[in-house]
Amino acid sequence: MPDKYILKKDHLLPLLRKLKKTHRLIAPVRNRHGDTLFAGIDNLDEVRIDLENQPQNSLKQFFFPQQETLFTYSNPASDSYHFEPVVEESPPTLYFGVRSCDLSAVLYMDVVFLKNVKDPNYQRKRQNTILVGLNCNDPFANCFCNATRNGPFIDFGFDLQLTDLGDRFLVEYDRSRGQEIISDWRQFFAEADDQDVKAQYQAFLEARGKFRLQVHLDQAVKKLARDEVPESVWEELSMRCQDCGGCAYICPTCTCFSISDLQTTDHAGERIRSWDACTFSGFTRMAGGHNPVDRQMRGIEKRFRHKLQFDVKKDNRPSCVGCGRCVNICFGGTDIVRFINMTCCENI
Amino acid sequence: MAGLATTFGSGAMTNSINEIENAQVMLVIGSNTSEAHPQVARRMFTAMDRGARLIVIDPRRTLLAQRADIHLAIRPGTDIPLLNAMMRIILDENLADDLFIEMRTENFYELRDMLFRLDLEEAARITGVELASIRAAARLYGRAQKAVICYCLGITQHVCGTGNVQSIANLAMMTGNVEKEDTGVDPLRGQNNVQGACDMGALPNVFPSYQQVDIDDFREKFERAWHVSLSPRPGLTLMEMTHGGKNGPLKAMFIMGENPVLSDPVMSRVEETLDNLEFLLVADIFLTETARRAHVVLPAASFAEKTGTFTNSERRVQMVRRVIPPLGQSRTDADIIMDLSARLGYVMDYESPAEIMEEIAMLAPIYGGMHHDRLENSWGLQWPCWDREHGGTPFLHKYYFTRGKGRFVPAAHEPPAELPDDDYPFLLITGRIYHQYHTGTMSRHSVLLSREAGEALLQLHPEDGRRLGVRGGEMVRMRSRRGEVRVKAQLTETVKAGEVYTTFHFSEMPVNLLTVSAKDHFSQCPEYKICAVHLEKV
Amino acid sequence: MHDILTTCVYCGCGCGVYLHEQRGRVVGATPSRNHPVSRNNLCVKGWHLHEFIHHPSRLKEPLMRKNGKLTPVSWDEALSFAAHELGRIAAASNGNAVGLLSSAKCTNEENYLLQKLARAVLHTNNVDHCARL
Repeated sequence: MPDKYILKKDHLLPLLRKLKKTHRLIAPVRNRHGDTLFAGIDNLDEVRIDLENQPQNSLKQFFFPQQETLFTYSNPASDSYHFEPVVEESPPTLYFGVRSCDLSAVLYMDVVFLKNVKDPNYQRKRQNTILVGLNCNDPFANCFCNATRNGPFIDFGFDLQLTDLGDRFLVEYDRSRGQEIISDWRQFFAEADDQDVKAQYQAFLEARGKFRLQVHLDQAVKKLARDEVPESVWEELSMRCQDCGGCAYICPTCTCFSISDLQTTDHAGERIRSWDACTFSGFTRMAGGHNPVDRQMRGIEKRFRHKLQFDVKKDNRPSCVGCGRCVNICFGGTDIVRFINMTCCENI
Repeated sequence: MAGLATTFGSGAMTNSINEIENAQVMLVIGSNTSEAHPQVARRMFTAMDRGARLIVIDPRRTLLAQRADIHLAIRPGTDIPLLNAMMRIILDENLADDLFIEMRTENFYELRDMLFRLDLEEAARITGVELASIRAAARLYGRAQKAVICYCLGITQHVCGTGNVQSIANLAMMTGNVEKEDTGVDPLRGQNNVQGACDMGALPNVFPSYQQVDIDDFREKFERAWHVSLSPRPGLTLMEMTHGGKNGPLKAMFIMGENPVLSDPVMSRVEETLDNLEFLLVADIFLTETARRAHVVLPAASFAEKTGTFTNSERRVQMVRRVIPPLGQSRTDADIIMDLSARLGYVMDYESPAEIMEEIAMLAPIYGGMHHDRLENSWGLQWPCWDREHGGTPFLHKYYFTRGKGRFVPAAHEPPAELPDDDYPFLLITGRIYHQYHTGTMSRHSVLLSREAGEALLQLHPEDGRRLGVRGGEMVRMRSRRGEVRVKAQLTETVKAGEVYTTFHFSEMPVNLLTVSAKDHFSQCPEYKICAVHLEKV
Repeated sequence: MHDILTTCVYCGCGCGVYLHEQRGRVVGATPSRNHPVSRNNLCVKGWHLHEFIHHPSRLKEPLMRKNGKLTPVSWDEALSFAAHELGRIAAASNGNAVGLLSSAKCTNEENYLLQKLARAVLHTNNVDHCARL
C-alpha cells in the first residue's frame, strides 16, 4: 500500500459524511457569531467547517473536561457509604482538522494521563478516537510552533494527516486506523505522484518562512536550566498577573485539576474534578493559611518553569506547543512569549 | 449618576471599553479597576504597554496603584478639594482648553471664580497629599491630548457623591477631554445590568429611557400604551423603602433578585423594616438573607435558563441566551411577573422576550432600534440607537453634549458624615474583592471562587496591628456607633495607618451593621466608603 | 455537547461567554474570541461562571410561610396569595404602601415588566433597584 494519497477537495464533505455514520464528528466550526470552535457536528449541511481560522479551544476539553463528575456517593445509613462511578459512554469519535500544535498537545496529555497510572476517565474518552490532522500552510498571527519544534508540519501521532495543495489534499497515514479508512473508502483516494509530494514539500518550506513571531524558546530553556533568569523577570511578570487563570485554562497542555465534593442532599453527593491553575493562590495555600509562594513576587514562576524547565528535564522537550492561544489574551500581558523575550533580551 | 446627567445630560460611560487602549493618560479615581472591572483594567495595561501614563487617586495602595506613574493616596472623602486643586493648577499653568470651553460649555466663570478663591496649600492639607504630587498629576492630565477618567463607587458612595462627579466632569470639560474618541469620562457600573435596570425605568422618578414621570407628555405616552392612568408623583427610593423601620411608609414589598439585608447600609434597620411589613414577596435563585424573612418565596431561573438582554457599562445591549430549561419548578422572573399581573387583573401577554423588547423599542427612544433579531446577529448595539437603521453609538456627546452645552457646576468640600475620633479612632472603607461579587449569592456558591477568597478579611496596616497586638489571621472585634462584627485581620501596607478596609460579600461578617445611613442629597447614594470604627483584639 | 453564547453576569464589563451544555447541565464556561469585550479571555469569575448554576441549594419550589416556617407549596397557591396581598394593600393605600425592588442582575425585559407591574398594575412609582450600591 502506498503511503501518500490525494483527496480532492470536492470529495472532503462526501468522505466526512460517510465517516460520520460510524463516528461522532468533531471539527472546527465557524458559528453564526463569527467565532471558530471545535464542536460536535450534528448535521454537516447546517454548519460551516472552518479551516481558515485557528479554533479558539483546543481538544483538551474533550478528553479532560473543565468539570466532570467522577463518582457519586451516598450514605443511606450512618455507618455505610455507597460509591457509584460515573461512567459516561464514549462513542467512537473522529476529530477533524487538528493542527500540529493541538495534536502534539494530545500526545503530551497521553503521557500525563496514561503513562504511569491510567486515568480511567481520560482513557475512556481517548480510546476509539481518530485524529485527522491538518498541516499548517499559513501559521496564524501568534503561532510559534517552529520554536517549540512541533510544527508547522508534523509527521507522527495522527491517524490521517492532510496537507492543503490548493484544489486537493495530500493524505498521509501514521496508524493502522488511518490506513483502514483509506482502504475502506478507497473510492475517495487516488495515489499521490511525485508532483504532489514535491508540492507538499514546497508548502512546508513556504510555511516555515511565514511565522510572524520570533520566539527564542531554546535560549529561554537554556537560561532556565542554568538558573540564569533574573529575579526581576519573575517579579515584573508576577506583578502584571491579574489572577484570571485564563492562560492555564486556554492552554492545550495545562493539565492541573482540583477535586471537590458537592453535597447534593443530606445523604448524598458527588465528587467533581475541575480545571485548576498554578497561578491561583489557593493552588499552593496550606490549611493554616500560610502560602509558600509569594504571589506578588513569584506567582507566575511555576507555570513557565514547568513548561520550559521541568518537562524538558523529565522528557527532553518543552510542554509548550507554540499554539499562541495565550498570547495577547493576558489581562496584564504576562504570556509565555513575553517571558521568553524578557529572559532572552536581558543581556542584549 | 445624577452628577453626570446634570453636567453632560447623560449619566453613562462616554466611551467604549476598547477606546481606553488608545488613551495617552488615564486618571482612575475611586475605582479598584483591576479587581472590580478586570476587562477595563486589561485595556489600561495595554495602553501602558503602548506608552500611556496612569494616575490613580485612591486612599489604598491597590495593585493598580502600584503600577501607576502617579498614585495620590488621598484621605478618604476629600476628592473635591483634590480635583479643585488640580483644576486651579491647570488654570494657573494655562493648560485649560479655552476654545472648547467657549464653544461647548456654559457657566465656566462660576467655576473659575471659585477656583481663584481656592487656597492650594489648604486644599493639599485637607487631602493629605503633597502639593507637588497634585501638581504633577494636574500637568500630566492637563497636557494629554487623549485622556480618560474612570471612576466607580469610590466616588459616588459619599455624602458629596454628586459633587464629586460634577468635579470630575468639570476637570474633563475644562481640558476639552470629552466629546472625542478615546477621550472622556467613564463611570464604571458595579453590577452586570445596572445600566439596563436604570434604562428600563426601574427608578422611582422616570419611565424607561429616563422620561420623567412628572412630565405630562411622557406620562400620557405611557398611559396610552398601557391603557391605564399613571401617577405623576415620583415614588420612594430604595433607601426610603428599606429604611422605614417600624413605622415605615410601606406595608408590602416585592423584591426581585436583590438582597437588601446584606447590600444596604445599617443592616439592623433593613431587617426591622422588612420584618414589620404585612407582606413580603421575594423571587430569587437562592434562599438569601432577605428571602428568609419573606412570606412568600418564589424560585427564579438563573441567567443560564432564560433569554433576554443585558446592558453593560459601555451601554452595549447584548443577548442573554437560554442554555438549559429552568431548574426544578423554577420560573423566569418575566414569567412570574406576567402570572402575578394576570392574577391582579391586568393581562401582560408576551409570547417571548423579543416581544417585550419590541414594546420597549416603541416607548424608550434610546432603545428605538434595539430588536432581538438585530442583537442576535451582532455583538450587541450601544445606545442611543434610535431606529432599525441606526448602528448604535460607541462614544457619546460627539459634536455636542446631550443636554446641548456642557454645564460647569462648581462643588465645594463637604466632610464625610462620620470621621474617626477618640472613641472610634479608625476609618473604615468598604468595597469589593476580585473573587467575589456583590452579596455573594452567586459567587459564594462557586467552589473555586470560595477557595480563593472564602472569608472576609480586614485589611489593617502592620503598624496598627502592632499597636493593637493583632497578628495576621487573628480575630478582631470591630465596633461602630451602630453595631459590631468580628473579622479576621490581614496585615498589609495596602491601607494607610489609621484606615482599614473590608468587603460586604460575606453574610457571616455583615459589615453593613456598621456603616452609616448618611447619603448623597441628590442621588441618594449611601456613604459606604467612610465610617468610624473601634478595633480590639478578640 | 453544545456551546451557547451568552453574557456574563459578574460585572458591568459584559463579556461574551460560551456556556457548555452537556445532558442538561452547564459544565463549563469559555470566552468568545471575537467579542469586543472578552477578546478571548475572562477574569477568574467568568471562567467559573457555570459553578453556581447547579448548586444543590438552588431554590426549586415555591415557599410560603405557614406557622412561622417557610413551607413548600404549589405555584398556584403561592401566586394567588401573593397577588391577593399585593392587590389588597395597593388598593387600600392607593399604591402608596407597596414598594418594588427590581434587580440589576435581571434582564432588561424583566426590569421593564417589573416597573410596568408597579406603575400600571399596582399604581405606584415606588420602584427602584440597587443602582447605587
